[in-house]
Amino acid sequence: MRMFDAFRRKSATRSIGMKSSRRNGSHPRAQDGAQRYFIAEYDDPDALSAAVRAAKKGGYTIADVQTPFPIHGIEKVIGLRPTRLPLVCLLFAISGALAKLWFQIWTSASSWPVNVGGKPLTSVPAFIPVTFEITVLFAGLGTVAALLFRSRLFPGRQTSILDERATDDRFVVALLEDSAAFDLREAKKLFASHGALVMEERVREASQ
Amino acid sequence: MSETLKYSVRPGTIRTLSILCAIGGGLTILGLFLAPSSVWPNILIAAQLVIELGLGGIVFVAIMYVSNAGWSVVFRRVPESMSSILPIAGIVMVLMVFGIHTLYEWSHASAVAKDALLQLKSSYLNVPFFIARLVAYFIIWIAFARIIRRNSERQDEHNSIALTAKNVRWSAAFLVIAAITIWLASTDWVMSLEPHWFSTIFGMYHMAGVLLSGVAGVSLLTIVLHRRNAFDAPVREEHFHDLGKLLFAFSVFWMYIWFSQYLLIWYANIPEETGYFIRRENSGWLTFTVLNVLFNWLLPFIALLSAAAKRREGMLLKVSIIVLIGRWIDYYWMIAPPFNPDAPALGIWELAPVLALVAAFFLVTLKSFSKRNPVPINDPYLVESLNYHT
Repeated sequence: MRMFDAFRRKSATRSIGMKSSRRNGSHPRAQDGAQRYFIAEYDDPDALSAAVRAAKKGGYTIADVQTPFPIHGIEKVIGLRPTRLPLVCLLFAISGALAKLWFQIWTSASSWPVNVGGKPLTSVPAFIPVTFEITVLFAGLGTVAALLFRSRLFPGRQTSILDERATDDRFVVALLEDSAAFDLREAKKLFASHGALVMEERVREASQ
Repeated sequence: MSETLKYSVRPGTIRTLSILCAIGGGLTILGLFLAPSSVWPNILIAAQLVIELGLGGIVFVAIMYVSNAGWSVVFRRVPESMSSILPIAGIVMVLMVFGIHTLYEWSHASAVAKDALLQLKSSYLNVPFFIARLVAYFIIWIAFARIIRRNSERQDEHNSIALTAKNVRWSAAFLVIAAITIWLASTDWVMSLEPHWFSTIFGMYHMAGVLLSGVAGVSLLTIVLHRRNAFDAPVREEHFHDLGKLLFAFSVFWMYIWFSQYLLIWYANIPEETGYFIRRENSGWLTFTVLNVLFNWLLPFIALLSAAAKRREGMLLKVSIIVLIGRWIDYYWMIAPPFNPDAPALGIWELAPVLALVAAFFLVTLKSFSKRNPVPINDPYLVESLNYHT
């Protein structure tokens, strides 16, 4: 699932029946420019899928879903765009093929011509195996590098997870409270009806 | 549940296929009297094509069992049915013995007497041993195909997971035996057409062909049957996606092996070996060499490169047809040059045997498919296959 920037837990209210919402909807952003999120947790992937589907239908904006293992089809439900990594892979592959083909022709026919068995200096069949290998190497390394770069995955990166149990046995969904019409009570009702174990609001500071 | 709605082949389809088969068969028999030297090689080509499809089917099933694959279970009856052409192909190959002197130089005692190399090879390349091997290959292939299919059918009635476990063991044994027999059979039937030439990768090249043909046949028939609502259960784009991946992969694999064979012969440049490719680069044959690479690799490669294309049923169907035409080109390219050294001949004698046996293949496969439950209803992996998501 998509990486999600650091959350700060606003309050310690962590129970389904929490009554103390400090507001009743109607203001999309807190005064300090922070963004509000609504978090719900489940212990079952199907319950989470059903809840996410219902939320999508209800017009909520789904910020992220975090699960211990990939749930097939959830990326379509939350509306993630298809990945463009295959295109990156193709471009790396083509550049690898061209670079290696050129390099071999240059080394064996131009820079240091060597007569091998009386064959023409530019004997393309002989260059194909290495070109193939370099194509695969460029495509493979390039795709991995592009993935790490685009996901900003570098050593020492602080990952932020909504709940540590999302790496174990909890299935977590975060809603973005992005419209004035967002009604916390309605949202709670919706997610509770699918069996949410934990529901709470969190605020992310604008500076982060 | 021990019975689902069986698929009934449209009478029109049966009639059309029977007529095509009869026309092709009639012309072939006519050709045996009028132009035996043109017809025999093409009977061999046609037989190789359907053997590849039949073997490809049962090898596909065996690979799925051995790898504990769940996704393919919903349409597994298609590759199972494809193997029912093997007995007919076996009969055709046994009848080929009558054309052995037209086809194989080494079968003439006079030719062998004059040729030191053929004498050296005569302990393997001689008529009685050739026939014995031919019969043995078919007994092995048909026996394994029947055992694996029968266990799969019995599971429809006896809801027993032990039958799946049994088939995993039979499949593992079959895959090893299939590799050895395909290698030997390709040496016997195709490589020995030019008995002075040899290539140690030739068996692997044929295994690539069997896999490519098998997946193309499975894709084609699954899509056609799916469009006619033959399956009680949904076959979805998720299944086509994986078939597309396999078709793409085996197409690339075929090209890899083709090029491996070419590269070593080109590089070493030994007259004994290069003759094979020189014969196929002559004026008329160069076109076929290019078409071979185009139909078996380049077109499928470009067409199926993107993930979206693999999921499109119509695209997969088109590519399967291209690959199956490519399989004919490949066999024509391998078998015909010694008989038409100057240029490929394409006419009625070339097409009649192919028409007859390919029509027979579809007829037998569809009939076999319609006799049994279209879906293996008690397979333990069926639920996984129905809910499959790549």
